[in-house]
Amino acid sequence: MNTGTFYINRDTFFHRMNSAVKLIFFLVWSAIAFLFLDIRVFSVMLFVGIAVFVIAKIPLTKIKRLVLFVIGFNFLNSFIILLITPAYGNELAGSTHTLVSFSYWTITLETLFYLLTLSLKYMTLLPVTIMFIYTTHPSQFASSLNNIGVPYKIAYSVNIALRYIPEIKNEFNMIKQAQEAKGAAFKKGEASLKQIAENYTKVSLSLVSSSLKRIDTVSNAMDLRGFGRSKKRTWFFSTPLKAADYLFFIFTILLLGTAIFLKLSMMNGFWHPFLS
Amino acid sequence: MGQFTTRTVVAIGIGAALYGILGLWGFSIAPNTYIKPAIALLVIFGALFGPVTGLLVGLIGHTLTDAIAGFGIWWGWVISSGITGLFSGFIIYKKSFSIKEGKFTKPHFGLLIATSVTGILLGLIFAGLFDIFIMGEPADKIFIQVGGAILANLLVLFVIALPALIAIAKVNKRSTNLKVEQ
Amino acid sequence: MLPMISIKEFTFQYKNLAEPTLKNISLQIFPGEKVLIAGRSGSGKSTLAHCLNGLIPFSYEGTSTGTLFVHGKDPRAGIFDMSSSIGTILQDQNAQFVGLTVGEDVAFAAENKATPVPEMKKQVQEALLQVEMESFIDRSPHELSGGQKQRVSLAGILATDTPILLFDEPLANLDPLSCEKAVQLINDIHKQTKKTIVIVEHRMEDILKLGIDKLILLSEGKVLFSGSPEEALKKGLLPKAGLREPLYLEALKETSYKIDDNTKLYPLEQLDPALLHAHLLSWLSEQTSSIIEKSNKEAILQVKDVSFTYNHERQALSNIFLTVYKKEILALMGNNGAGKSTLSHVICGYLRPQNGSILLNGECINHLSIAKRGRHIGYVLQNANHMITEKILIDEVSCKLRQSGLPEDQVAEAASIALKISGLYGLRNWPIDSLSYGQKKRAAIASILVLKPDILILDEPTAGQDFSHYREFMDFIHLLRQKGMTIVLITHDIQLALEYSDRAALFHNGSILAVEETAKLFSMPDLFHQANLTKSSLYHLAESASIPADSFIKKYLQSKRKEPQNEYRYLLYQS
Ligand SMILES: Nc1ncnc2c1ncn2[C@@H]1O[C@H](COP(=O)(O)OP(=O)(O)OP(=O)(O)O)[C@@H](O)[C@H]1O
Ligand SMILES: Nc1ncnc2c1ncn2[C@@H]1O[C@H](COP(=O)(O)OP(=O)(O)OP(=O)(O)O)[C@@H](O)[C@H]1O
Ligand SMILES: [Mg+2]
Ligand SMILES: [Mg+2]
Repeated sequence: MNTGTFYINRDTFFHRMNSAVKLIFFLVWSAIAFLFLDIRVFSVMLFVGIAVFVIAKIPLTKIKRLVLFVIGFNFLNSFIILLITPAYGNELAGSTHTLVSFSYWTITLETLFYLLTLSLKYMTLLPVTIMFIYTTHPSQFASSLNNIGVPYKIAYSVNIALRYIPEIKNEFNMIKQAQEAKGAAFKKGEASLKQIAENYTKVSLSLVSSSLKRIDTVSNAMDLRGFGRSKKRTWFFSTPLKAADYLFFIFTILLLGTAIFLKLSMMNGFWHPFLS
Repeated sequence: MGQFTTRTVVAIGIGAALYGILGLWGFSIAPNTYIKPAIALLVIFGALFGPVTGLLVGLIGHTLTDAIAGFGIWWGWVISSGITGLFSGFIIYKKSFSIKEGKFTKPHFGLLIATSVTGILLGLIFAGLFDIFIMGEPADKIFIQVGGAILANLLVLFVIALPALIAIAKVNKRSTNLKVEQ
Repeated sequence: MLPMISIKEFTFQYKNLAEPTLKNISLQIFPGEKVLIAGRSGSGKSTLAHCLNGLIPFSYEGTSTGTLFVHGKDPRAGIFDMSSSIGTILQDQNAQFVGLTVGEDVAFAAENKATPVPEMKKQVQEALLQVEMESFIDRSPHELSGGQKQRVSLAGILATDTPILLFDEPLANLDPLSCEKAVQLINDIHKQTKKTIVIVEHRMEDILKLGIDKLILLSEGKVLFSGSPEEALKKGLLPKAGLREPLYLEALKETSYKIDDNTKLYPLEQLDPALLHAHLLSWLSEQTSSIIEKSNKEAILQVKDVSFTYNHERQALSNIFLTVYKKEILALMGNNGAGKSTLSHVICGYLRPQNGSILLNGECINHLSIAKRGRHIGYVLQNANHMITEKILIDEVSCKLRQSGLPEDQVAEAASIALKISGLYGLRNWPIDSLSYGQKKRAAIASILVLKPDILILDEPTAGQDFSHYREFMDFIHLLRQKGMTIVLITHDIQLALEYSDRAALFHNGSILAVEETAKLFSMPDLFHQANLTKSSLYHLAESASIPADSFIKKYLQSKRKEPQNEYRYLLYQS
């Protein structure tokens, strides 16, 4: 089925997994990445992450785009850090190994190593996020939120957001094109930048005002069919928990426990191979 | 949770979808810092539907933007959008204020500026702190980025969000007692 | 028998209006009745419907007096109670569709009642089976045509089991065959379940086939008539309420068929075949056959071998060839999802075809931008909301002229002419949000007219319009043609195509079945059926009178095609 969103229909371990368990795994994974600034941890995570990509059968073309983006982002980010705070790595490591130096501005081994660590940190976040987005059926997502304790009304808001994203995208294009046909300019060179910005603003505001109206009609339609009348709600698309889901859940909790243990006992702070 | 009406649920959903899509669009003013016109939506939805809606439109919408763009979810900035929406919504506790009925006076305007500016500042400061303490970015660099983002968001607030709200209130005011002219 | 719905001296006024919208309404509806509520646009039909299902005052604020009981409850007490008594299908099918997929949408009410999942799945299966949509259970809303969405909505309220079903304009935007099927479906449901059915609808010709028990005519918020449809037809009350009579009845009146107290007019089969035969034969013999003059035709727009596929998977147009001649009115007809709107989008450059070319005045315009094509081709989208970006009506009409640098007095003049023509001049300072659906559509057309395109493409211009506006509006289109404009009309309305178009193109699932003179097409019932069009009641009239249908229809239409009268005519010759 095509929902106009990101889901790719396959049959893999992650596609079959209960969405709530998958969501917990995703959150735990992010939390672990947040906890550390340690290249050893990130190397392991990155390795596992690549395995996740392979198991979830994410198409190579998608991965290629993402990897390019992330590398681009990391280079830019590193460059800025190097420009603004070239001595940050030295502060963290408490040592200085100068590589090159132009008067006040020096590049040190410590900072480069820090930048490598930071870039890997951003990279480790990626595989599981992408796996989650591409393997979770939008219809199951809301019910899984509800399953892990999010109130059903908020979970349903997410459902509505997913339902209307393709529609709103379509509507934006329609409004813009109708304006173009009437002679409004949207491309550089056809009119002054101010005029173009104004035209975009008009289209966006028109989209907003039609969305505001849509809020009224949709909530009417939902009220008429008894939304919110009872304290609980069942979901047409709910996937019951299987043995594999319980096992994976336990694994996830163990993972979190191990991470916290490591953080508390030995891997606190920025890890580096330099002697101070 | 008691007064969580269907309208609120739908407003959050549609607001998040809008923010999710329009949030993809921005002008770069400095590396990794954008003027993001969609920020205006947080203020508009906050002022129309209240703090809870503002908060959730920010959280869900920003998560969706990141998911659609496909480069992972940036939690610090997600929460920052939520905070901005939350604060912009506090104005609805002022009883005499109602965009829907066109009641939007000068004192309301001042109050809305105060709450939404607070929301923008707190949100971005939060995002900065998150990047420093959780992601481990250098403070000096984040200081510059957050400074740029604050300027950009304030610009959006004053150039797009507030004029749009004034326009909506004005039209709603005109929609009462309508008569056919000759 | 106790009435299912009972209303006494009921008055309602919206909070932001100066006067009440419903005035002193009294009526009763009994269990198992099929009731039609009809009236001009803005007469208060939807308002009345919302009073029944509880949306008023729950969602729309206002004040009401009088008594109101629906299934023994006062809807003003709370909307949640009502959802177990009355199932509503709103006019806006997209708003109605809240689930991400068909299955979820049908399950929506059951989900809200916290029905256990296995039981819910069974209910959904059954409801979908009943509307013949079981294979669509995993589709998302934008993969469905209008008619299919309609079926899903029906399944959604079938799954609930309420004693009353309320439909607000269920047939708008449906193609004639889907329309007939929808009517059939409602009828089947009524037979099986004996539910009370309340319908609001403009399309009298189609909805009367349902076998209505009671017709309620509203006019300016008051009940003009409440009784059997037959009585209303005989008394000629429909035109008084701003509605169009069924075609066959119009034809009987035009041909001065004698109607006295004993004549049974509804349904059509009640008419005496022998009398009819004699009457129509004598009428036919009086008609002089005029030959339609053929002017030398010059092509203005050509579509050559165009194909288009959405998202690499759904072929919406396959190898379309179509020529539009200067100064003609061409109707595009065909089933829901046949690709009519898609073709217009391709012509205007909103979509790029995978192959084929578009020629304007003999020159290929494939490479031209939307804006450049827009100078020659004006397209009024199916959804008028997509065309509107200004807040106030007059600004919407004049803003593009102003941007093009025209002096202010000329802008003002052009704008007021366009507004007068579309009958909106009195509302020029209103916020567009406060206009009704039909008025918005006319506003969108006015904003295109000021740009003076050579070709005007109108996508469903009359959907949701009442008859008087429809008349006025179509007469105006006719005049534009006489002034030299070429017009392409996309429509599901057979009557409209018959009366106003020179030629018609029949679409079916992405290809063109035939392009012919409109009246001639009507003598090809097979083709017609294939394009989901149905025979109009004129055809049935001829059949029951046992006279040749095609020649009768042709002659009848010729006799009706008179010079249109329009008070705004003179304006055209000024500009
Ligand atoms: N929410 C509203 N607030 C204020 N006035 C309204 C509202 N809805 C409708 N009206 C007014 O009430 C009158 C009746 O509207 P209603 O929608 O009931 O008409 P209708 O008979 O259903 O027309 P249509 O055939 O165009 O749907 C109109 O004049 C309209 O302007
Ligand atoms: N944005 C879209 N994405 C994918 N498929 C689409 C899109 N728009 C239309 N379609 C599909 O293309 C086909 C043709 O649609 P189109 O809107 O052109 O039909 P139509 O003849 O105008 O129908 P209607 O009479 O209901 O307006 C349909 O099957 C429809 O589902
Ligand atoms: Mg209505
Ligand atoms: Mg269409």
